[in-house]
Amino acid sequence: MARPAVETRALTKTFGVTPVLREVALRIDEGNCAMLIGGNGSGKSTLLRIIAGLSQPTYGDAIVFGENSRGLGLARRRIGMLTHQSWLYPNLTARENLEFYAELYGLPHREDLAMNWIDAVGLTASSNDRVREFSRGMEQRLSIARTMMTEPDLLLLDEPFAALDPGAVAIVGNLIRAAIARGCAALLTAHAPFDLDIEVARYQIANGRVMPLRDEPRAAPRSRMGA
Amino acid sequence: MKNKATAMLGWSTLIMMLVALFMVFEWVPTEEDQGIVQRIFYFHVPCAWVAFAAFGVVAISGVFYLWLKEQLFDDLGYAAAEIGMVFCTLVLITGSLWAKPIWGVWWTWDSRLTTTFILWLLYGGYLMLRSIADDTPEVARFSAVIGIVAALDVPVVVLSVRLWRTIHPAVLITRAGEHGLEDPRMVVTLLVSLAAFTALFGWMLMLRLSQLRTRSRLMIIRRDVALIEAAAGDY
Amino acid sequence: MAAFAAVLRKDLRVEIRSGQSTIALFALSLLIMVVLVFALSPQPADRARDGAAALWVALVFAGMLGATRSMIAENENGCIRALTLSPIDPAALYGAKLTAAFAFMAIVEVAAVVLITLFFNLDFGADLVRLAPSLMLGTLGFAALATLLAAISSRTRAGDLLLPILAIPLFIPAIIAGVKSSEAALSGFPLAAASQWLGILVAFDVLFVTVGALLFEHVIRED
Repeated sequence: MARPAVETRALTKTFGVTPVLREVALRIDEGNCAMLIGGNGSGKSTLLRIIAGLSQPTYGDAIVFGENSRGLGLARRRIGMLTHQSWLYPNLTARENLEFYAELYGLPHREDLAMNWIDAVGLTASSNDRVREFSRGMEQRLSIARTMMTEPDLLLLDEPFAALDPGAVAIVGNLIRAAIARGCAALLTAHAPFDLDIEVARYQIANGRVMPLRDEPRAAPRSRMGA
Repeated sequence: MKNKATAMLGWSTLIMMLVALFMVFEWVPTEEDQGIVQRIFYFHVPCAWVAFAAFGVVAISGVFYLWLKEQLFDDLGYAAAEIGMVFCTLVLITGSLWAKPIWGVWWTWDSRLTTTFILWLLYGGYLMLRSIADDTPEVARFSAVIGIVAALDVPVVVLSVRLWRTIHPAVLITRAGEHGLEDPRMVVTLLVSLAAFTALFGWMLMLRLSQLRTRSRLMIIRRDVALIEAAAGDY
Repeated sequence: MAAFAAVLRKDLRVEIRSGQSTIALFALSLLIMVVLVFALSPQPADRARDGAAALWVALVFAGMLGATRSMIAENENGCIRALTLSPIDPAALYGAKLTAAFAFMAIVEVAAVVLITLFFNLDFGADLVRLAPSLMLGTLGFAALATLLAAISSRTRAGDLLLPILAIPLFIPAIIAGVKSSEAALSGFPLAAASQWLGILVAFDVLFVTVGALLFEHVIRED
């Protein structure tokens, strides 16, 4: 019996009087991957922020590793989050950014770890450049390294493939698959469905509601062998 | 039920105020040194008391808001700050009116006036925050923090201002008037006036609070209606 | 504790590299002193008082700028959210931001003290050393207050307007005590003469460092 990494219960969020999320019930078990598909302003990012405890639900709850997201304790440590903001300091180099986050999370062998992750996302040549000088795609790569470096048990990835070239898409796809293979749960968002080559539960978000994706443009979740 | 209590408090405030007015203008004897001007003191002191008490309410509701996250405490803090600001302004005005004939100047950096003035600035900052940040979702949280910080600042303000005035050569030293309650009727008048102003504060607080509560409830209703409408649109 | 060191080291590293805040802080305090020199037309008799006043005016306004910049840097790429999500204790985060702000302000003040000595014809010597306690205590108090308030103002519309409105009234007790004790030091009185003022500064610091550490959590969280 798989344990849930995230479970939302009638999760509702409004900004002022405008509904953004309505009674979202979503469950992602450990080692599973869910994809949330919706357009701009559909509430995808808000849902991710609420699960990470960075925003408070109006009604309902999000339970993350058994803790309510309204007051996350130890579970915070287990979340890796990628947003459309990179969470990187523009005046620090790529290495310094990763070393800073490694230190913040109390990880050992910071220098090696940072360098390994920079290599893993293909930024070796730019490791000593400041993030301010990075292109959007490079910043996104480094941000993914930042997210993955802490070996999270729950990945919240807001449009992880945005601004990435095909090479980077392959690298990032591999990283996500590797994380899931070791038992990490993942919630990804995207504008349109895409194939991740693993079993993915697809949902669509529209008008604040999250539902299983009805119109499957590619393959049913289970049929990756045939895809 | 609640309206009835507010109305009753309102009527008692009116009666107490009339009694206090009668005592101040007709009953209490005129103070010998200062003359008729001294009577403003029976309004000045209660106003100062209300201003400080309101500040206390702001801070305590701030603590409760951060603790319990109940909208009620945010509304209470807001209501108390507004009323406190009004009374703090009245303290400064009545103080000036008294100072002119007695001290010969409208304003002097006397320790009590200075403290009240700083209190007024603190209230001003709190209310500015509420008006500038009213579109920030966290405004209630921020206001609670500022309310607490400001109230904790007050004792240090009192301490430093007192020391500041005593070390400085005081331009105007005589202020016997404030302690010259030699006639027991003066004490009684002051106490009645204090009670009347306290009741007035309570009444104003209840009125303003119920207004803000209504506004908060209306927001929740509008929010819920929007949710229901959106749900109806699903089908 | 490791997280505290990480944030502090990060802030110092960014600052040493660019020198942005320190240079801006220094430039602003220099200009404030220039304004005050012309506004006061220093007289030899009042030089200790004028010097102390100029120093504290510079401290308040430059400090506000420094604290704001430090919090804006955290908001720039949403980094404050990364910190909120990370295992760091908000009090440790507050401590790190406060320490960094204090360090920048202290560096600028050393330069400012040299400037007022020149501008107001004060003596280089023991008086300036006696200035240290009042100045450092005042800086700590202001950094404590400004770090907490800048976290609020950096997240509100027109926050640059809001910060002085909130900070200056709260800081008045420390301004009084700081100017008085600095004046005593510059007039050549022994430290003991200003002990009451220094006591108020210590009380102010203890109060606001504690309150800031306790309340910082509430000003960085989002609803």
